Amino acid sequence: MALLVSEWGAMHAWAIATAAVVSAGCALVGTLLVVRRMSLVGDAISHAVLPGIVLAVLAGGRPGGVLVLVGAVAAGLLTVWLTQLLSTQGGLAEDAGTGVVFTTLFALGVVIVTAAASRIDLDPTCVLYGVLELVPFDTVEIAGVNVPRAMLTATVVFLLLASAAWLTWKTQVLTAFDPDAARAVGVPVGFVTTGLMAATALATVASFEAVGAILVVAMLVVPASAAELLVHRLHHMAFVAIALAVAGAVIGYMAAWYFNTSAAGMMAVVLGLEYLVAAVVAPDDGILSRVVRRLGLAWRVLCEDRLAAMWRAEEAAAIQPATASADAPASTTSQVRPRGFSQQLALRWLAFSGRIAAVNGGWKLLVQGREEAGVIVRSHRLWEAWLGRHADLPLDHLHPPAEWVEHHLGASVRNRIEADVGRQGSDPHGRTIPPESEVKAEVEA
Amino acid sequence: MGHDVKCHNLEFHDVTVAYGRRPVLWNIDLSIDGPGLFGVIGPNGAGKSTLVKAALGLVPLVGGSVRLFGLPLEHVRPRIGYVPQRETVDWDFPVSAVEVVLMGTYARLGWFRRPGATQRALARECLDRVGLGEIADRQIGRLSGGQQQRVFLARALAQQADLYFLDEPMAGVDARSQDQIFRVLSELRTDGKLVVVVHHDLRTAGEWFDSVALIDMRLVAAGPTAAVLTPENLRRTYAGHLDVLDELGRAVEQRGRTP
Repeated sequence: MALLVSEWGAMHAWAIATAAVVSAGCALVGTLLVVRRMSLVGDAISHAVLPGIVLAVLAGGRPGGVLVLVGAVAAGLLTVWLTQLLSTQGGLAEDAGTGVVFTTLFALGVVIVTAAASRIDLDPTCVLYGVLELVPFDTVEIAGVNVPRAMLTATVVFLLLASAAWLTWKTQVLTAFDPDAARAVGVPVGFVTTGLMAATALATVASFEAVGAILVVAMLVVPASAAELLVHRLHHMAFVAIALAVAGAVIGYMAAWYFNTSAAGMMAVVLGLEYLVAAVVAPDDGILSRVVRRLGLAWRVLCEDRLAAMWRAEEAAAIQPATASADAPASTTSQVRPRGFSQQLALRWLAFSGRIAAVNGGWKLLVQGREEAGVIVRSHRLWEAWLGRHADLPLDHLHPPAEWVEHHLGASVRNRIEADVGRQGSDPHGRTIPPESEVKAEVEA
Repeated sequence: MGHDVKCHNLEFHDVTVAYGRRPVLWNIDLSIDGPGLFGVIGPNGAGKSTLVKAALGLVPLVGGSVRLFGLPLEHVRPRIGYVPQRETVDWDFPVSAVEVVLMGTYARLGWFRRPGATQRALARECLDRVGLGEIADRQIGRLSGGQQQRVFLARALAQQADLYFLDEPMAGVDARSQDQIFRVLSELRTDGKLVVVVHHDLRTAGEWFDSVALIDMRLVAAGPTAAVLTPENLRRTYAGHLDVLDELGRAVEQRGRTP
């Protein structure tokens, strides 16, 4: 086994593992940030930790060391506190305050790190973009294995975040969903929120070496946002976000190696693509399912309109062959003759599904088709009767609304309308409303 | 439940509340005894919600004190249930109805204990009581306004409190949900609980509440419903809007003087 994993492969494996653990931590914290609508705060903290890191390094801390973690968390909390101060004392809007504070702190960090570049082991470029490719070269030996220092930090931080989430999940959820109710039962809401901010700072600083200050925002926000589209329970969301983040790290790193480009950049791009896919395929509100639902309705309306037209033509032919009524104005043949490709298609489907049958150049309703058509016509005329009774509209205003409402009325509401308008048996135009009992084998959509 | 409550009691003693520096409730003296439905009635901006929030410690008191069951709030929190206004939360939040109700049990679990089978069973039972047992696992954003309000009520039931505060539970709620909510509140009265309801609809106030308080930045009147909802008291609450309190509040806020 050891022979199979070349040293070259091991390097990449360590880099990928580090990226995956780092992303997982960010995704976990990001889930709570996203549902609390605090993504911008995550953005702010991820940038504002920079001066904390730089000062900690100047004070003798090592990247990934405890001192640096503490410095980062302190700077992150300072951001939150300063923002609140600006908004409560200075009257500045919260988002503007966040913008002022974190950009200032981040700039301060950039200034210090550039000025002190010769004295400290911290390269501005690494800080901004991360150096995932170099992660495997800075190692410590644990139980005979050379583990990258960044991997060690990332793992410790992830375990810390995961156990904190496990222990305080219900309190975090209550605070996130309904802070007033949380406060009322004695939850120290400010403290809980501060904890989340500290967790954000920790997740961020653990990611710095791997992905840098700019792209860590993607790790915080994008997997959680994609997960929110896909599932509707918070704990599911956390797991899905972590899975998406890990997948983004692995795929992104390999793609970066293939295209010979920035690993952190490619990881963020992959996360963006994951979001795009989620937005398209999300089960409820995804673009695809919305298109399918819309097409499904259009198809149903098309078929039902064909059936209803044939029903009316039959009615007109049976009762008054010479007179054309208002909602079936044309003659039987032109009503039934298909006029376009989609209607042709609809008729073929209706014939195929046993609702209508072809007779010498035209079509006629079969039993099932006649029942379904009766339901549509019944809905149409009931709605006209209801509007005529309650909305006091002129007769020519009744047909257009009934034309689309007829596709959306269910049996129970139909019967309620009928009870309401009275069983007079005809609509305001004087045409018979088919009774419900005729439509036994009705298929509700 | 589980508590031997001899005297339900909520007492506001000379309570004044301000937002920022601007007072919105002035010198409220109000004692509510015994079980039953108590309505807090008044016009928009009268400080009805603020009164409830003052009792729950959600807004700081400028002056005065609140005692519940004769004790300060900190000692009795587990016995207090709260239903905030529906609009105060994000209903797109990824939780199901039963999970929201489960939140009512969290206070008794402390910091680190996770809800177990007992709590889950209780949550389902509370959802059944408000008539939503069948949609327990639906995401809350997919419920109607009235159903959302009933989920909130079920969460308060799951707290198993002795004193309940409800902030506008009937606002924007369909007739069926209103009936269901009123039925549950009546059950609470039968169980010997005190239920304080912020309410704005005078039409229904008369038939629902045993006692009411009329409030318009100050207490106008309080007592048995029939005795309080008199034309004279209603005129003093709704028509006799006290510009003096408004102007004074503004002056205090701006550290100035009234005209």
